[in-house]
Parts: sequence; C-alpha cells; structure tokens
Amino acid sequence: MKVIIVGADAIGAHLAELFSKIKQNIVIIDEDEAKLEHIASYCDLLTIKSSSNTPIKSFRDAGVKNADLFISVKRDENLNLSLCVLAKSMGAKQTVARVENPEFTEPQITDAFNRAGISSIIYPDDLAAQDIVSCLQLSWVSQRWDVYDGALTMLGIKMKEPCEVLSRPLKEICNSETPYHVIAIKRGTDTIIPTGNDMLLPNDYVYFMTTKEFIPEMKKIVGKEDYPDVKNVIIVGGGKTAVRVVNRMPKEVKVKIFEANTARCEELNEVIDRDGVMVINADGRSVANLLEENIRQADALVALTGNAEANILTCMTAHELGVRKTVAMIENMDYMSIAGNAEIGTIINKQALTASYIYQLLLKGDVRNIRNLLMVNADVAEFKAREGSRITSKRVCDLNLSRQIELGGLVRDGVGMLVNGNTQIQPGDNVVVFCQDTNISQIEKIFN
Amino acid sequence: MINTKLIFKILGALLNIEAAFMALCLIVSLFARENDLVPLAITVGVTVAVALLFRLLGRGASNTLSRRDAYLLVTVVWIAFAAFGSLPFLLGGYINNVSDAFFETMSGLTTTGATTIDQVEGMPHGVLLWRSLTQWIGGLGIVFFTIAILPSFVGGSIKVFAAEATGPVQSKLQPRLTMSAKALWGLYLVLTVGCALCFFLFGMGAFDAVNYAMTITATGGFATHDASTGYFNNPAIDYTAIIFMFFSGVSFAMLYAALFKGRVKHLLKNAEFRFYSALTLVATVIIVAFLLRYNDYSFSDAVRVSLFQVVSFLTTTGMFNEDAAQWHHITWVVLSLCMFFGGCAGSTAGGFKCARGVIALKILRNEILHRLHPKAVLPVKVNGSTVHSSGQITLMAFLMVYFVLCFIAYFIMILVGVDSTNSFTIALSCASNVGPTLGLEIGPTMSWSILPGFVKWILSALMLMGRLEIFTVLVIFTPAFWKNN
Repeated sequence: MKVIIVGADAIGAHLAELFSKIKQNIVIIDEDEAKLEHIASYCDLLTIKSSSNTPIKSFRDAGVKNADLFISVKRDENLNLSLCVLAKSMGAKQTVARVENPEFTEPQITDAFNRAGISSIIYPDDLAAQDIVSCLQLSWVSQRWDVYDGALTMLGIKMKEPCEVLSRPLKEICNSETPYHVIAIKRGTDTIIPTGNDMLLPNDYVYFMTTKEFIPEMKKIVGKEDYPDVKNVIIVGGGKTAVRVVNRMPKEVKVKIFEANTARCEELNEVIDRDGVMVINADGRSVANLLEENIRQADALVALTGNAEANILTCMTAHELGVRKTVAMIENMDYMSIAGNAEIGTIINKQALTASYIYQLLLKGDVRNIRNLLMVNADVAEFKAREGSRITSKRVCDLNLSRQIELGGLVRDGVGMLVNGNTQIQPGDNVVVFCQDTNISQIEKIFN
Repeated sequence: MINTKLIFKILGALLNIEAAFMALCLIVSLFARENDLVPLAITVGVTVAVALLFRLLGRGASNTLSRRDAYLLVTVVWIAFAAFGSLPFLLGGYINNVSDAFFETMSGLTTTGATTIDQVEGMPHGVLLWRSLTQWIGGLGIVFFTIAILPSFVGGSIKVFAAEATGPVQSKLQPRLTMSAKALWGLYLVLTVGCALCFFLFGMGAFDAVNYAMTITATGGFATHDASTGYFNNPAIDYTAIIFMFFSGVSFAMLYAALFKGRVKHLLKNAEFRFYSALTLVATVIIVAFLLRYNDYSFSDAVRVSLFQVVSFLTTTGMFNEDAAQWHHITWVVLSLCMFFGGCAGSTAGGFKCARGVIALKILRNEILHRLHPKAVLPVKVNGSTVHSSGQITLMAFLMVYFVLCFIAYFIMILVGVDSTNSFTIALSCASNVGPTLGLEIGPTMSWSILPGFVKWILSALMLMGRLEIFTVLVIFTPAFWKNN
C-alpha cells in the first residue's frame, strides 16, 4: 500500500513512523531538508524535498498516480485542501486534509469536500477536545475509549490503595460473572497481558474492558468513589484546543481559562460563545495566580499550553494543590513515559490521536475503530468477524491465538458483552482486540 | 469649513415637505370651516416663501457634506421645523406667547408630548391635526432624514454619521441602516393605519382615531382630549393603545423582520427585546401590587391602568388613562425608571434605550466580577457580538452626559421654585422625550403652562438633545467644532 505524506512536522513525522512500522510504502514530502533527514534516520521511507513552486513535480516523483492514500498535514489548512484536490485529480485513491477550522467539519461541508476530491477532513484540535471532554466526564479514569458508540468501554486506570482487587491473583477476583475484563497491565516499563496468576499492584496502569451499565460499579471496584463529578474546570493556555474543549464541554460545567497574552484573551472572548466561561489574563504556571482563582475549588485542571514541560509541571502543581483530575497535553513523544509515571491524570497527544484516526483509514473497511495506546505502545481495534473466518471456527480458548493478542469484548446486535475462554464468536460480531507489537494486518486475516 | 450653501439647499427642500404637511391640515380646515383657516394659510405661504428663499441661497452648492455640516444640519433642521411649526398656534392665538408656542412644537417634533395648552378640546380640527402631525413627522424624522433625505443630496458617505445620530450603540447591533427607507416608512404607515382602524372599530370618531394613532405610533403622546385616552374610558381602546405603543417601542428593523419575514424567533431571542419586555412586566407587577394595596381598584382595572401607564412611560409616549398623581409614591419611582430607560434603539421611542441599558448593566456586572477576579478579561456581549471598550466608554459618557443635563435642568427648576419631585421628573421627562411629569404641583395630566418662559426654552433644548442623542447637538457648542482643522 502506498502512502504519501505531505508535511514533516510533528503529525507527519508521527504518521510516517507509525506506517513504516507496519511495513507500508511511505513517501514523505517537505520543504525542509533537515526534518526529512531526521525522519529518514529512524524510519524506512522515501523522502522528497519539494519547494513551494514545484509541487507538481514532487507529486510526480512521489508517484501520486498510484498512491492509495494521500495525506496533507501541513500547517496551512488551505494549502492542505488544495493539495488534496490536486492529488485526487492526479490519481490518488484516498485523500486526507488537516484543517484548523471547526466550520470545515460540518457534515454539509465535508460532503462538499468529498465531491471536490477530499475524502476525509481531520481536525486535530477537535479530536483532542473530544478526548479531553470524555475523560473529564469520568474523572477517575485516565483513558477512555468507547467502542460501538459506548456499548463497550475500555478504561485505563491507575491503581491506588485502598482498593479491593489489589494484590490478589486475578483468578481469585475474576470469574465469568465479573463485570470487567483486565486486558493489559503496565508496570514500570513492562506491559503484561495478564493470566490468572498475575496480580494487580499499586501504581499499575491497568486497562479494563467493561460494558456501559457497569461503569458506576467499576468506580467502586477500583476504589475511586471519592472522585467528584467535574463541575469546575481550569484550563491553562487558551489555544485552539482550549476553544474546542470549551465548546464541547457540557453547558453546566464552569470553566476558567488562563491565558497570558492579553490580545489572545480578547480573541477568546470573541470566539467562545457560551456562558460559564471566564477568561483570566494571567500565567497559569504561577501558583499565586492559580490560588487567586481558587484552584482548590476546581475539580479538574487541563494544561494545554504549547509547552509540554510546562503542562506536566502545571499538572503536578495542581495535584499538589488538591485538584483530583489533571489533564496535560504533550506534543513531545519522548516525554510520554515520564509523564505517565508522574501524577498526571490523563495525557493527551494531538499527533497520536490524529495518527490513530488516519491509521484507521488505511486499514480495510472492516476495522471500524482503532486507537493507539501510547502508554503501553499497543493498539486496540474493533474488527468485524466475517462468515467462515478463523475467529468464528472455535471457542476462544481453542483458537490458539498469539500471546500478544487479547480479545477484550464484543458487540452483538448493539449489545456489548465481555469475552472469556468459553465465548464462541459469531459472524457479524464486532470484536475488540488488544494487540501489542503486532501488525494489524495479521489480525485482519483471522477475521476474514 | 461649513458648507452653508448645501445646508440652505437641504433646509429649503425639507421646509417644502413641512409645508406640504401643513397644507394637509389646511385642507382639513377647509372642510371643517373653522377659524384656523387663515393662520394655516399664512403659515403655508410663509414656509413656502422661506423655503424658496433658502433654495435660492443654496443654488450651486457643492454636494460634499462633511461630518460637521451633518451635525449642524440636523440641529438646524429641527429648530427650523419647530419655528415654522409654531406659527399656526401663534397666528391663530391658540397660544399667546412665543415661548409656549415654540415649546409646544418642539415637544411635538421630538415626540415628547408635554403640552402648554390647558384646554385642547376647544381647538379647531386643522390645528389639532397639525399638532399630532408634528409628532408623527418627528417620530421617524431623524431616521428618514439620515437614510432617505441626506443620501439624495449627497453621496453615500453619510453612514458613519447616521449610526451615531440615530441612537444605536453599535451599528452592528442595529441592522436598521441597511433597511430601506421605504420599508421603514411602510412599517410606520402600517402601524399607524392599523392603530387608527382599531380605534375606529372600538368606537372612536374618525378624526380622533387618526390623531391618536399618529401620536401613539410616534410614541409622542399629544391627545385631542384633555383627559387623553382616559376620555373614552374604554378597555378595548386602552388595550389597543397599549399594544401599539409597545410595538412602536420595538426596534423597527426587528419588527419588520418579524412581521413581514416571519423571523419572530429572532425577535424573541434578542437581548434588548427581552430586557424591554422584562422591564414592562416587572414594572407592571409592582404597580399592580401597590394599586391593589393602597388604592381602590378592581384587579382587572389595576392591571389595565398600570400596564397602560408602564408601557406609556417606557415607550416614552406619555399618554394616560388615569391620574398617576393619585397613586402611591413608590409607583412614581418605578415610572421614573421606565422613563429613564425608554424603548428599544431603532424605534420611535426616546430615552436611554434598552440596548444601552443591557450593555450598561453588563458593564456593571463585569465591574463587580472584576473585584473578585482581578485578572479576568470579561467581555460585554450583546446578541453574540462584543461591545469593545471604546464602545463601552462612549456609552458610559452618554450616560454621564444624560445625567449631567438632567441635573442642570433639575437645578434650574429648583431655582425658579418648582417643587423637587416635579423638577426631577420634568428634567427626566424632557431628556427622555416622555411628556408627562410626576409630582404634586404639576400632575401627569396637567399642562406645563405655569412654568416660566425661559425654563421652557431650556426644556426645548433638552428635548432636542434627548431626541438627537445628545452628542449630536452638544458637539456644536464645542469650540473645536468651529475651528478650522
């Protein structure tokens, strides 16, 4: 499969890395030779240096004629849109353009874009905002991933004392009646796909699969009952992501945005069109400023400045000051593991979210949804079992699946249920698969 | 410098229009065969002659109207209209001194509706019609002037000025300038004719119906009876008046969109309209409560008279169907508050305007919030658009000037010996173009003839400033206006 990526900034680089890992044929185009060299140093791909006055030549060189996927993720949204139109007319099968404008994601507008030759629109800030808002709604959960519109949910939770399920072998606490399924454990730098003899320990980062109706029960089981519902949120950094978060936040949530730039504060007031939002012209990294705005009363703090270090430190400070839920946006992949070990509730990475989203487009139509789990360097994906495929031939325990693959749950006729060894998967089921260090296309084979 | 020729030219053209309206009254007088035939005929003659003289003086004027010219022109037009408009009263001897006659006409043209005539009922029909017509012309006069007359004389560069002169705080909030003059006058006519027809149906005579309809849609308040609408003592007429007064106090552009384009939701969602409606409702409820507690009213009567009075004061019409002087004093405070706020910007109503009220209250709320959150950046948003700090300062300056003017007028009246309550409400009534005053000496139903002559000149000036949004007139009296730069 041939993929062309235009733009070697953070998102483009991350995509290139992701795709080159699964052995796709990648071409990356950028004007900046240094960036290209950097990417080429750790990824197996073809780099093409373009200049703004020879886009057509670089497209021809890249072989746009027989490209399966053309992705334009430059900073200029208008350029992305026009490059996609151009690529489509030159023969690219699918095109994806990155935008920065909420209007462009409206359904009628995306239809119009489709007709013009742009297959998909991605809006990274909005993807991040969706994620932030959904994890603020479950403040005791670090990561949340809804499958099949919420019929099944995967929850990533950092385990803390006191908790009734800690330090006991899983075979003792789990049976076929338990409302959850432990999919993976991250302990230190290791990722464990658990068996009955494994135990959950304090400070483990655990991925549970559960169904919608058991979410309140899960809160009790993991001992996080004292987490409040989020009603007051402080956002540090009033960038584009902050605007999207505020607009997606439920109306009853009160938000304070800290923004150090005065002119940007005025702009924020212009673009935010809802009540219950107060823009504070102050640096959110200062404890004095946070205290002045009553941080102790806040239920959550979301750090969205452009600076990953500042975001991490702000979240840690807020945690010290007693804020139960913190969310940090991190642009730099290298900090992921440090941030994961620090006292930060949720880590958001725009590039990874965007990349997961595009990754999904690359896979065949049977994969409805895929998510890259940064903490454990693994993917979860939702597959549809086909008639006569290997997965439907036997019960799960008799399938002899690889140790790196774990079946989390399935959705049959819109109802979510958990999978255990005795489950027989039927054709048409949507199955959630957790896979580590595995090429997704291998899993696809089991389902086809 | 000032383009005197152009001002003469436009003035001449406008006086011709005034003469045409006067001629209408002359025709009525011809049919009625009353003693006002000669005075009206002389007035028409004089006005036309002066108009022709002005046009002669303005021959060959260059068509560039500067900002200064425009400010001066508006004020001069109003004064000239009042001067010529007062001729029928003087010549016919219905008012026997110049101060009273000028005051009466200015009160009409500014849609104030304060009168110096103690007995209206004995006056001939032609003059009565002229008296009501001054209000009807004045109602949309400034709008008509800025969006229809001026562009026909000069280029389209007048919009900046019009936005200031017609009252809206921000032109963005008020789509009225984009409305054609035709649509505006169409709506005005529809309201007037509709009102007159309703009055006629509910048993008013044709002549009275037309007069009342004109003064109500202009939110003026001149009546052809000393007891105003109280003369009819008819709930149907009262409620008709209430409804038409209320609608005349709504922004015409929004009313037009709601009535003819079906955008009712747009109107109901508008912050200014909501404030206006809420004010009506709250004030009515308070007054009803006081009337039921302290006066002998049945519930339905209490609702009717208090709603009438509130809407009449809020829209700055100044009609009355009951003597509010007999009511509890706290109701006067409520009515004074209504007088102060006035109707919506872009209507025929005067006052501070509800749009400004909404913004001023939001500024106040923000100031208080600022004490708690010193670093917060708090926007003032009205209907989704932000009022920037320069706009906020202009508005606060307007508020201050409004109060300073009221205070000066109040002070002068205290000096000449008018009682305090009366002085205060007279000042407010003039600045907001309402009409009646509240108090013990001069009641809301009485004429203002007992005030000394020079006070009437001051009040005339105050009314004019109130109508022309103060700054338009005030700027002329600054030295900077006359300097050559």
